Amino acid sequence: MRRRILSILAYTGAALMLVVAASVPFVLMGVFSKAVADAGLHIDAAYSGGTVARIIDRGGYKIVVYQPVEPRLLERIEPFVQVVFEPVDALPARVSEEIDLDGDGQPDVRVSFSLPADPNAPLRGDVTALNGKYISLTNVTGESFSRMVVRAGKQIVVRVPLNRGSVNR
Amino acid sequence: MASPSSAPARPPAFRSIGRSILLTLPIALWSLLMFTPSFRSGGRALSIGAVLVIVFMTSLFFLMMRTGETYRWRRIFFVALGFLFPVGFIASLIAERGTMSIPISRMVSGDTPFCFMVTPALILPAAFARTIVFPGSILPTASNPHSIAVMIGLWFAFTLVLGKAWCSYACFFGGMDEGFAAFGKRRRLHRFVTKYGSILRLIPWAILLCVVLLSAALFEPFYCMWLCPFKTVTEFPAVRDLETALQFGVFVTLFVGLVVVLPYLTKKRTQCGFFCPFGAFQSLFNKINLFDIRFDREKCFDCGLCQTSCPTVALSKESVREGKTLLNCMKCGACVDACKKDAAVWHLKGTPVAVKPERARLLFLYGAWALATMFGGSILANSIATMVHWLPLK
Amino acid sequence: MAALPLAASAGEALVLGLTTGPVCLASCGPVVLPWMLVQPKGIGPHSRQLLLFLAARLAGYMVFAAAAWLVGAAIPRAWSGRSWAYGGIELLLAIALLVYAAGWPRPRRALSEPSPRLVRIGEAPRPRPSGAVALGFLTGINLCPPFLVAGVRAAQLAHLSGALFFFLCFFAGTAIWFLPFLSLGFLQRTPAVVTVARMVAVLLACWYGFSGASLLIERIING
Repeated sequence: MRRRILSILAYTGAALMLVVAASVPFVLMGVFSKAVADAGLHIDAAYSGGTVARIIDRGGYKIVVYQPVEPRLLERIEPFVQVVFEPVDALPARVSEEIDLDGDGQPDVRVSFSLPADPNAPLRGDVTALNGKYISLTNVTGESFSRMVVRAGKQIVVRVPLNRGSVNR
Repeated sequence: MASPSSAPARPPAFRSIGRSILLTLPIALWSLLMFTPSFRSGGRALSIGAVLVIVFMTSLFFLMMRTGETYRWRRIFFVALGFLFPVGFIASLIAERGTMSIPISRMVSGDTPFCFMVTPALILPAAFARTIVFPGSILPTASNPHSIAVMIGLWFAFTLVLGKAWCSYACFFGGMDEGFAAFGKRRRLHRFVTKYGSILRLIPWAILLCVVLLSAALFEPFYCMWLCPFKTVTEFPAVRDLETALQFGVFVTLFVGLVVVLPYLTKKRTQCGFFCPFGAFQSLFNKINLFDIRFDREKCFDCGLCQTSCPTVALSKESVREGKTLLNCMKCGACVDACKKDAAVWHLKGTPVAVKPERARLLFLYGAWALATMFGGSILANSIATMVHWLPLK
Repeated sequence: MAALPLAASAGEALVLGLTTGPVCLASCGPVVLPWMLVQPKGIGPHSRQLLLFLAARLAGYMVFAAAAWLVGAAIPRAWSGRSWAYGGIELLLAIALLVYAAGWPRPRRALSEPSPRLVRIGEAPRPRPSGAVALGFLTGINLCPPFLVAGVRAAQLAHLSGALFFFLCFFAGTAIWFLPFLSLGFLQRTPAVVTVARMVAVLLACWYGFSGASLLIERIING
């Protein structure tokens, strides 16, 4: 009797698996994808740049300043602040902006770069620190996750390393 | 021990053509259903790819039904998937950005396509810090349809049905491994693998534990950054300093060693069976999967053919004596097809062993082949379409 | 230097340890886990080994606390020698893990081992503590950022005893995060588990060795 019940359950389960397999492209994949999307997860700030602190409107384009990103646990990045210029099409050929990164009303860095005519050409830029809290970058492109001036799609992403008095680890 | 040569060989045909066609019909209809959108909106090249894949997958399933064998026909699909996947993938990379390397700008914009192999490394940071340590995007975008949510959703749905059979029916990387193992006839390092197989098959578990620990500690996808051999034939972080150059060197060394040379020398899937941490992770799902392979102890006379034929050393003398495989069985069917006494059988958990094993095999194969057609088949169709584009056709 | 009231400094140290414990766990956990997996099954032997490990770790903390206080508040987070110390310690950890994975120290054996079929009179020789002291001490002097923060605070205290007490409380806060390792005592110690644990130790030794060596090489090149 027990064997029979087990067999019935087994074949029922197998039949269900066939139904599951058939429903993967139509229902299940979407359900599981939505569950992951709704789980409240976010991409690590070392990749995403963190959360937006403030937006500076420059008329045609915007400068988006992010919150400082600190390495978590033993993460092998320097602390940095991300600044994004968007959209690229609205930027002048030469950009040189003094930006207040910490919201104290005083400019902290000057970001300078020239947009190449060819959008696929590599971009290089300079970041001049105006106080000791930040580290200057000279003629950089994408050196590391903490030091970069790169074109990413319709944005120019700049990451300024913080001088917190600590080395990498 | 009785001589294997005295055992009766399996009859050359298993089912009549008519019955085989009947059993293949659901797969044929499923294939048509899966690829109908390609005919409508895919263009000529994709339509050609779709037709070829429909015929390919349906024919292989027919041969599975006709001959009663699984491994030989599954392997044809799997190796094709393994070698054709990079064709389509690399071609799309070159078309899009002119290089296989991923510039850092794409990582910060979330445009890195998600690979399922990083899934175990994400668990601890996601559980404790709600953070995904991968430079992708959670939701699909125009520039990155292979988002994290979509790929994890796909992987989980597959794993519910297949368990570790993912490694035999879905993982295109495994197809490369299996392809190089299929070359040549002579096993040069057979004795080494037989002697040390019990230790070698534990290595993926050790690598899995290391990857999980270090990914959580360093908050980075450790396997992707340091250990993935398949970066060599897909995409890899652009070399910009000594560390990234070293990483690339590791990828190439592991690929050549584990995916090309060792499979050729041992005729085993050495990357899959002796290295891949994702495979170890998938093994855990064998615990809850309904299908497995068992051994009828009344028929088995311990000839060892099943152990010799297993591509990932998922069988030991002790496990066969207990009538079952080890946890890392990929359900490829090699041992079932190799067994001359039909002692190795497909099995549905909860049912008696060796009672209507063909029914268990059919139930398993319908699910596995349906998913293989959906996922692997679409990859094959895209790769064929890429190659058709290269042809000087008017 | 201003002397902190004892209770206030104890509270601060405990909170610092509790909040930065995950960093300690991330730093030391990969070392501790494979080592604990090789220990005999059972809460009793497991607890003894963990206590020994933590005691050695505390010894490391006390050594650092004394050094920090003696040097004074001159160990800023940008201390240029930190890379040397960090790289060296990581190399030592790698060596310790490799030595441990190779199966040393082995239990002492008599010159003529009696046959197991003979009746043993008296207690069997106790196995030596396996690597707890070395691993505990090395992780105890591992200069992770919270450790340095605690060092700077301790150095500001008026007396050496205060600095030691500060680090004792800091240690207590971090040690709480290691208690879940006791649950490994329930895990069955099959040969497969032990083999995997040794393999993990080897792999982690490779990582720590690479990490330490690259730090030292970077320091040598950059000066």
